Amino acid sequence: MDPSEVEFLAEKESISIVPNFTLDQIYLISGDLGPFSPGLPTTVPLWMACSLKQRQKCRIVPPDWMDVEKLSEKKQEELESKFFTQMPSNHYLEVSQLLLQCATDDIPKADEVKTLIKDIWDLRMAKLRSSVEVFVKSDATHAKLNHLTLMEINTVRPFLTAALDHMHALRSNLTSGSRLSQD
Amino acid sequence: MLAEKALELVREQHRCTDGALAPFNEDGIRQVLEEMRALFEQNQRDTTATVSGEVGLFSSIQLRHTALERNKRCVLAYLNNRLEHIKRMRWEFGSVLPADLRYNLCEQEVQWFNSYNRMLANYMRAIGDTGGVDLTQDMKPPKSLYVEVRCVADHGEFETQDGDLIVLKKNSQHFLLRSECEHLIRQGVLEHIVHRM
Amino acid sequence: MSQTTGHASDNYFSLDDILTTQEKLPCKVEMPIYRLGYLDQSSDDSTLQPGTKLEMPFWLARSLCSRRRHIVSVEMPRAYRESYRQIFKADPNVVDLHKLGPYFYGFGSYLLNFQHSEAADIGNSLVKTFQGRFRKIMDSSQNALNQDTSKLTEKLDESEKKIFVAGQLGLHDFQRWETRQTEKLMTSAMVQKHRKRKRAVLEETS
Repeated sequence: MDPSEVEFLAEKESISIVPNFTLDQIYLISGDLGPFSPGLPTTVPLWMACSLKQRQKCRIVPPDWMDVEKLSEKKQEELESKFFTQMPSNHYLEVSQLLLQCATDDIPKADEVKTLIKDIWDLRMAKLRSSVEVFVKSDATHAKLNHLTLMEINTVRPFLTAALDHMHALRSNLTSGSRLSQD
Repeated sequence: MLAEKALELVREQHRCTDGALAPFNEDGIRQVLEEMRALFEQNQRDTTATVSGEVGLFSSIQLRHTALERNKRCVLAYLNNRLEHIKRMRWEFGSVLPADLRYNLCEQEVQWFNSYNRMLANYMRAIGDTGGVDLTQDMKPPKSLYVEVRCVADHGEFETQDGDLIVLKKNSQHFLLRSECEHLIRQGVLEHIVHRM
Repeated sequence: MSQTTGHASDNYFSLDDILTTQEKLPCKVEMPIYRLGYLDQSSDDSTLQPGTKLEMPFWLARSLCSRRRHIVSVEMPRAYRESYRQIFKADPNVVDLHKLGPYFYGFGSYLLNFQHSEAADIGNSLVKTFQGRFRKIMDSSQNALNQDTSKLTEKLDESEKKIFVAGQLGLHDFQRWETRQTEKLMTSAMVQKHRKRKRAVLEETS
């Protein structure tokens, strides 16, 4: 999967906006949106929020978790935990990336938010790599990792599947008594 | 050693996995087929001899037979991998191949390319009820309906969907429907301009 | 990567598998093989006589040496013998597997088919060697962005190289996304390469 496809999925996440225009409710396959009235918050998919914001048709209300204090706590928790902690959004990186790109002015302390998100991502990727190493070196046949997000899995997927395939082939050499007796 | 020529074909194809397709090696194929014919005839002679009572020929027959199978595998793998490459070319270059690349295909490969082209076109036309879907478009989720582009090369006149005629001249810039110009971008005629926010 | 499973039928058209099965091993002829003496270039005899020693590619040796047929007997190649296995065990990361046969794991796996007395040890050694080298392959493939990777991969065997490339791909795609390059529609990779080559040819001839 290409990261842009992961982003496409993330764009379906709902987000709160404050429009500055008037429009009746609109009916889309994915659900009804609006009505839109100036100053009244409403919920729309992220892709629409970004598009409206780019045309200066709304102000974006950042999600609760996109906050320096909350993210610092999250970072600390991730740092102290041996396991992956649950993220406030399954698309935390994509949502931040998109909002920080189009709505910096709506996010308090945007720069600090950006750094914190990046720190959390780096922490989790390092953790992921260590778990992969432990897994490959053990003789385990399966592993369970909770709370990984799609973008995180997607980034290691090509590598992980190739490495595990190789490992599996080498291991099955040792147990394939059936094959050895075939001829 | 036996099957050396066939191995050369495989090596040749292996080398150009990421690059351009090499010219079809007709001479190489011919040499492999010659070796195979010789092996086959010798084996036929030895089997006839065995039937009429001669003993001890089994090891030679087995060895030649293995070499025959090996030759066959190498040639088939050579042809198969070329076809896979040609299939990829359809998706990257579009339905018309540049002349210098076309020149590297043998006649049967050109035929194969044409029928693949036809099948793909028929299939894409048959999707849905409204005239089909172009599967080679929007390979990544599109971000906008229109895109800004710059011409990298002179391409001549271009008629847009609403009937406007524009001239794609080198370094000229245009604002076009993404669906209309994505092919030209992929073929390197136009360059997509992205504005940083 | 079924190239290590030992069934040619799994990947009949695989060029890598064909090259893997082309790797040679020392063989000894056990029965006369008439009219094929020319395969041994050191002798003028028209027959390959019992006792003749020669190197054969795996694909041939496999067909002449099995539980049912003993037309030749085989020896394990140097890189899979005890002395080498000790080296791999001591420090798998310093070994140049590319030099020891670019298809080290695949060929090694195929060799197990001969049911040699050391087969189990060889099989184990292959697993341990890869486990030992894994972290380094992962780290180098995940950290090296936009730099010359030939130095990092020169000691890897072909299957390790594929894993390395897969790691680079994931990282590269992510990095392109992170810097918002994925928004830009690009010229197809094949078209780009084709242009480059054409330009190079033009420059040569002018």
